[in-house]
Amino acid sequence: MSRKLLTGLAAGLMLGTASTGAMATDLVIYHSWSAPPEVAALNVLRAGLEEKGHSWTDIAIPHDTGSNVNLMSLVTGGQPPNVFMESNPGVYRDLAGMGLGLPLTQWFEENNVVENLPTSVAAAISVDGEIVKVPTALHIDGMVYYNMEVAEAAGVDPTAWTSFEDMFADFETIRAAGYDPVAVGSQPFQVGYLMHALTAAVAGPDVYSAIYGSEVDPAALDDPAFRQTLETLRLFANEAGPAAQNRPWNETTNEVISGRALMQVHGDWMKGEWLAADKVPGTDFGCMQIPGGKAVVVTVDAWGLLGGVPEDVQQAELDFASVVVDPEVQGAFAAEKGSTPVRLDAPADSLDACSQEVLEILGDPAHQVQNPHNTADADWQDSIWDVVFNFWSDPNMTVDDAIAQMKENYDTILG
Amino acid sequence: MSELTVAQRAAGAEIAIDRAPYFPRRKKMITGRSIAVLVFLSICALFFAVPLYVVVVTSFKTMAQIREGAIFAPPSMWTLEAWDYAWNQACSGINCNGLKVGFWNSVAILFPSLVLSIALSMVTGYALALWNVRWAGPFLFLLFICAFVPFQIIMFPLISMTSTLKVYGSIWGVALVHSVLSMPVLTLIFRNYYKDVPQEILSAAIMDSGSFWRIFFEIIVPMSGNILIVILILQITSVWNDYLIGVTFGGFNAQPMTVNLANLITISTGTVAYNQNMAAALLTAIPPLVIYFLVGKLFVQGITAGAIKG
Repeated sequence: MSRKLLTGLAAGLMLGTASTGAMATDLVIYHSWSAPPEVAALNVLRAGLEEKGHSWTDIAIPHDTGSNVNLMSLVTGGQPPNVFMESNPGVYRDLAGMGLGLPLTQWFEENNVVENLPTSVAAAISVDGEIVKVPTALHIDGMVYYNMEVAEAAGVDPTAWTSFEDMFADFETIRAAGYDPVAVGSQPFQVGYLMHALTAAVAGPDVYSAIYGSEVDPAALDDPAFRQTLETLRLFANEAGPAAQNRPWNETTNEVISGRALMQVHGDWMKGEWLAADKVPGTDFGCMQIPGGKAVVVTVDAWGLLGGVPEDVQQAELDFASVVVDPEVQGAFAAEKGSTPVRLDAPADSLDACSQEVLEILGDPAHQVQNPHNTADADWQDSIWDVVFNFWSDPNMTVDDAIAQMKENYDTILG
Repeated sequence: MSELTVAQRAAGAEIAIDRAPYFPRRKKMITGRSIAVLVFLSICALFFAVPLYVVVVTSFKTMAQIREGAIFAPPSMWTLEAWDYAWNQACSGINCNGLKVGFWNSVAILFPSLVLSIALSMVTGYALALWNVRWAGPFLFLLFICAFVPFQIIMFPLISMTSTLKVYGSIWGVALVHSVLSMPVLTLIFRNYYKDVPQEILSAAIMDSGSFWRIFFEIIVPMSGNILIVILILQITSVWNDYLIGVTFGGFNAQPMTVNLANLITISTGTVAYNQNMAAALLTAIPPLVIYFLVGKLFVQGITAGAIKG
């Protein structure tokens, strides 16, 4: 239904372009991607946009270098881009305040997109109840990726684990076979991500939302399930040898790829490292959610559209949006990027084993939560990272200590 | 024939002498102290050379060898692939034409920035040092204060101003901001240098009916060789290595090489190609290095001629 509508829309637009020849619009596209798989994925979008008769002017500012500051400086300088990759809800509120927001709820409904999105994606693209972003790529923050060859050599079957108890019970067997059971990297970023992934998996969506949601409920810190999460984190920390000190995630992944360790629990952007080393999902390496996990954490990369522009430019921006959410394009895009399509109805033949697994998990609305960057207060989240990283690094720090520190931080930051 | 005094020598007095003056020199001996100094200096040199060594050898390795670890090992097979990729094919956003795009942008930014900033601060320094300018003292003090204002604080106002002047998002915008931001320090350097020009020269020039500009071009500029070298090196290095001004004021069209480099290297969810990153970093660092090698000697002369020591 939706596809027909979109194709119809596209066809109509192309006809219009062909007949008038004046509909072509140049869109300035602002993003932070330059890695080869990312560029290949962007080219899928560009081809779709050019098919609609528009052109693409590119501006790339790298990740984590204050790129949203830079977006705002372009806006201040009077040269705002038409389309920008941005997740931070604050930016959308600022733009709306300047009359430059473009609400998309109606457009999404008219094009029947929302019902095909996983619930966590639909939540991630909304700011204050209004859809303002166009979702383009999806990642899970904590997946288990394991080396199948090592699993076989050690005589364990990760898919048979139904809980963390099963998993940790096999660790001695794996060690006896001469492998590290799990590769970890002792870095605040990796530990912080592992912590929120574990919170979702072990303590479940309710506790997760009470801690990482927009409204924090400090009572959840005393929840036995949250204590259990920290105890589980301690078990991972015990696996960190001296070599794990400040080891970047991709080097940690290489421990698994090269067969020194069995598995890694990290964001599924790990897939890129595996593919770069010419490994095939489902054949050389397996991917699954955290054993017995109650929910997965979903990260969504999304585009914003500039409002307050002339009618024809706005139409071109919406054309861009319709390319991005097209199921076929989603499949091709995800295959290039190594991500998972944001639509549950993406064509199955475009998915690899890992993406299939992810979309299957996301079919259950109750089994998914949003990445904290979308919801949590930034200071509060930073303070959690600090506490869990200290907890990780100091074996003498107890779960009680960690919870007490978090409560103290809550009182200072949000209390 | 008596010996020359030091002062006479310094004044360049030429008096015929029978024999070259003899300065007895102590014979060099290896002492505990000189060994200690040597060891200390070697450690200092290693401190900088070892990371550089790693950067250079990594840029010539293949990714397969890098994955093995052993960062100090020399390349098992020397290859220029990473260099070629970084220069010709690296992606900055969707455009995969390598760092050479940013290189030419950087060159295009460099020249207007140099001309604007040097012209502005040279004339200001000359006026403040040699002419009776009203409020010169307070003005200098103000400039001095401005040298300590961090760029980030005034970034957004500057964006609004360049936007009003219609230069935001162009090479001229970047050049203008560079010259304005470097003006305090450069003016102080020029002013201190010109302060040493004897007042008599200026008086004589005025008597010969020289105007402000004529004296500047015919007397002051020809005397400024040393200090210009110093300023050139300072400015070339700071403009070339700048990231923040280029990324903020360059808009879509004028992003310097450092932005391309950052795009290439800063990857959060992709794979890291260390050999390409190292090659790209070296490529970006080469131009200021070349300048140093070419005019490094003149730089030392310029500094000792009274520029910064003042």
